Amino acid sequence: MTLTRREFLQAVAASTAGAVAFTGCAAPGSVREFQIQSSARLPESTLPGQDSWYASLYRDGGAGLGVIVRIVNGRAQKLEGNPDYPVNLGRLSARAQAAVQELYHPDRLAGPLRLSGVRGSGQFQAISWEEGLNELVRQLRDLAGRNQAGSALLVMESERGHRALLAERFARSYGAQLAKFEPLDRRASVREATRRVFGFDQIPEFDVAGARYVLSFGADFLGTWLSPVHYGWAYGQLRQGWPDTRGRLVQVEPRMSQTGSVADEWVPVQPGAEGILALSIAQALAASGKADQRALAALTGNAGAAALDAFNPESTASVTGVSAEHVTRIARELGEVRPALVIGGDAAGAHTNGTLNLVAIYALNLLVGNVGAAGGIRPNPPSPLTDLSQPAPSASFADWRRLLDDMRGGRVNLLMVHRANPVYGLPAAIDPREAVGRVPFVVSFSSFMDETTAMADLVLPDHHFLEDWGDDVPDPGPGYQIVGFQQPVVVPQLNTRSFANLLLTVANELGGEVARALPWGSLKDALQQAAQELRGLNRGSVPAGGVEAYWTSLLQQGGWWDTASAGAPPEAGGTARLPTQPPLPAFEGTAQEYPFFLHVFPSAALGTGEMAHLPWLQGLPDPNTTVVWRTWVEVNPKTAADLSLTEGDVVAVESPAGSIQAPVYVYPAIRPDVVAMPLGQGHTAYGRYASNRGANPLDILAPRSDAETGTLAWAATRVRLRKTGERLTRLPKFEGNVTPFVPENIPMVLKPGQQEAH
Amino acid sequence: MKYVLRAIPLLLFGAVGVVLIVFWLFGIPWRVGGAPQQPVDFWHTIHVQVVRMDCLFCHRGADQGAAATVPAVEQCMFCHSVITGSGQAGAEIAKVRAVWAQQQPIDWIRVHQMPDHVRFAHEPHVRAGYQCATCHGDVGSMQTVTQVRSLRMGDCVSCHKANNGPTDCFKCHY
Repeated sequence: MTLTRREFLQAVAASTAGAVAFTGCAAPGSVREFQIQSSARLPESTLPGQDSWYASLYRDGGAGLGVIVRIVNGRAQKLEGNPDYPVNLGRLSARAQAAVQELYHPDRLAGPLRLSGVRGSGQFQAISWEEGLNELVRQLRDLAGRNQAGSALLVMESERGHRALLAERFARSYGAQLAKFEPLDRRASVREATRRVFGFDQIPEFDVAGARYVLSFGADFLGTWLSPVHYGWAYGQLRQGWPDTRGRLVQVEPRMSQTGSVADEWVPVQPGAEGILALSIAQALAASGKADQRALAALTGNAGAAALDAFNPESTASVTGVSAEHVTRIARELGEVRPALVIGGDAAGAHTNGTLNLVAIYALNLLVGNVGAAGGIRPNPPSPLTDLSQPAPSASFADWRRLLDDMRGGRVNLLMVHRANPVYGLPAAIDPREAVGRVPFVVSFSSFMDETTAMADLVLPDHHFLEDWGDDVPDPGPGYQIVGFQQPVVVPQLNTRSFANLLLTVANELGGEVARALPWGSLKDALQQAAQELRGLNRGSVPAGGVEAYWTSLLQQGGWWDTASAGAPPEAGGTARLPTQPPLPAFEGTAQEYPFFLHVFPSAALGTGEMAHLPWLQGLPDPNTTVVWRTWVEVNPKTAADLSLTEGDVVAVESPAGSIQAPVYVYPAIRPDVVAMPLGQGHTAYGRYASNRGANPLDILAPRSDAETGTLAWAATRVRLRKTGERLTRLPKFEGNVTPFVPENIPMVLKPGQQEAH
Repeated sequence: MKYVLRAIPLLLFGAVGVVLIVFWLFGIPWRVGGAPQQPVDFWHTIHVQVVRMDCLFCHRGADQGAAATVPAVEQCMFCHSVITGSGQAGAEIAKVRAVWAQQQPIDWIRVHQMPDHVRFAHEPHVRAGYQCATCHGDVGSMQTVTQVRSLRMGDCVSCHKANNGPTDCFKCHY
């Protein structure tokens, strides 16, 4: 049979029409599209597809942010900043945004575990809560019975609020030791300096928002220091809040941080010489007559400007690496612009002379007379809840060395760890893993199998913060009294229990003194009692009302605060005296053998390692280098050229304490004698996204501490770089890898004589 | 023979055309087969005509939001934890109780669905006083729910025009 072209085309047309028309007859290809689900359970107040928002708190490395959480069908979907909460005023950090990913993380421990193999083998078996609790109570009873209660050690994060209160009372009444772990001791060093200089009990509010001139020594306050979200808001006010001028920011640090990258000036000071530079600026201020005379007298023991002669800018230039003209100009600006604010922290306080550096830095505030004033140093008043006013300070590095020695010496029989990871977070030079390994019984309350939990005999996983009650007295506060409240916004996803409630249950079981010290049935009860105390003050942001109404309003707002309750500077003031001789830093390693200063810094995404298990944060490009998912070492271009290093070359970074490997990133904004590495990676446990990735600079940190306070001197290590011969084909970073799409026939650049294509 | 072969595609084309024209004239819903078989054979007849339950008791979202929503299995169990029924009804109730025991959801086949470019909100219609039956028909007398109105744009717009409702495009297409 022959088929003509016309017949063929007709057949095609008919078939096509039929094909199109008859698709309507078939069942829908994707059945899912036409389904509607009856959930098994849904609270009566919830409608499918409708969202509700609840206020809560997120710790964010100690900043204490107010959040609102979007709940859809009982699932937490999104965190946003609580617009009313004074600390962050509706803004939020990337870490807080990623916290919801932690709630549904596949590596969350689903329930209590007991070690079933050899310690460190990773072999655990699931047990019931009854078994787990009984075991813990048994251990505690045994110790108390043998009069060895003092050999129990409770380790927790630098906790505040009622959770800290419960833990402290538990430890005190039982007789156990309590050690709070703050990686890098950053708050501790600032707290000591502000106490010495101003006489404050608490870290003050550094009023960046109200200042016209901010001079920051090392403090990456827009990145990772203390309360970056709050300072981020304040920074906006600094720049655009003044009608007549744009506020000025000068950042002094050996390696340009996030804050340095937005500053008007980056001053690359010699590591450890921040204090000398500050004293040099003080001398120039005093010499020009711009310094507050009374403060100068107090700081120099009435010797006046003459006491600072050793620090004149010409003599200190070689030590600090900052020229005399530069110092004089900064001093002049500091003396003339009002209000001016000077802050210091991070690496500036992380030397063997760290406290002395910070004292000199903060003393500049006294010399410009900004204490208690807007745009200056504003004291934070004590909390109206007196129990929460003074949480126990964190243990310093020196304290940790002693504790690890206790563990090795058999003086710690029971170690309980909550929200702290000292096996990872302490420098490997003091071998925390080996010390913890010597403790006969280790209990962890962590939700994840981190390095410390991997050493545990018993794991009793805690709720996620979105599943739990809590409260917080932010540190630093916003300059007035505030108590934030955290509430559960989802039903617990897994078989976990609130740590605070566990403590209360255990206390009840132990009876006696311990039970008396912790009279509440649950953390919620304790919080409701605290709410009643606040209600009794008859002031603050929560509208007055009956008991129930007040509690509801309090939770709706996310906390209680009183803007009228500003703190007053203490009468006595500080006792610090400025040194007459330069406070010099000491470093581990000689300049000949180890030519570079190692500058480690908390990573913007991963902090000091506690967020490395969240893939959203692993994939967050570092703000300065845009590198993701690994560790890198930043090298100055001149140094890189001298050593024939290019980006991607894997080098061994060697210190007297150890050696790690990382690829090179050529970074212009760093001193030629400094190399920098981000913290956060190098985990050996902690889930699939964190394990065996990158390197941990804490492994090569020298175990040096500040001479005055014993805090970790994490900037006191010298290193050398050694090529390994390996290189990465491509460093995983965002910059330079997203090329514009250029179709070949439409050139981006026209050569002479070429015509544009149409 | 040649003429027969040549006629087949034309006949097919013609048949399809006739079907399409008939659908258009009678406003038959685009999706053929409007009474899908549900995982649980839920009879509105018993619940509405005998038990005299209000639509909003189960479809709680109808006066509160966009979607009327279907109730959670927990809500069925308010009564069916006690009422086990008998015969075929008993068998269907047993299915619901089994699903509840497993704490699993029930995935119903949707009967009424707008395409993605249309956003329909129940709340303003219910609050304006319109009966559910206006668009959904006498659901109370349906053993298996079917779609009885075309619910195509013309259907919506003609009712809006007759009742002073908004006819602005962006009211439903945004």
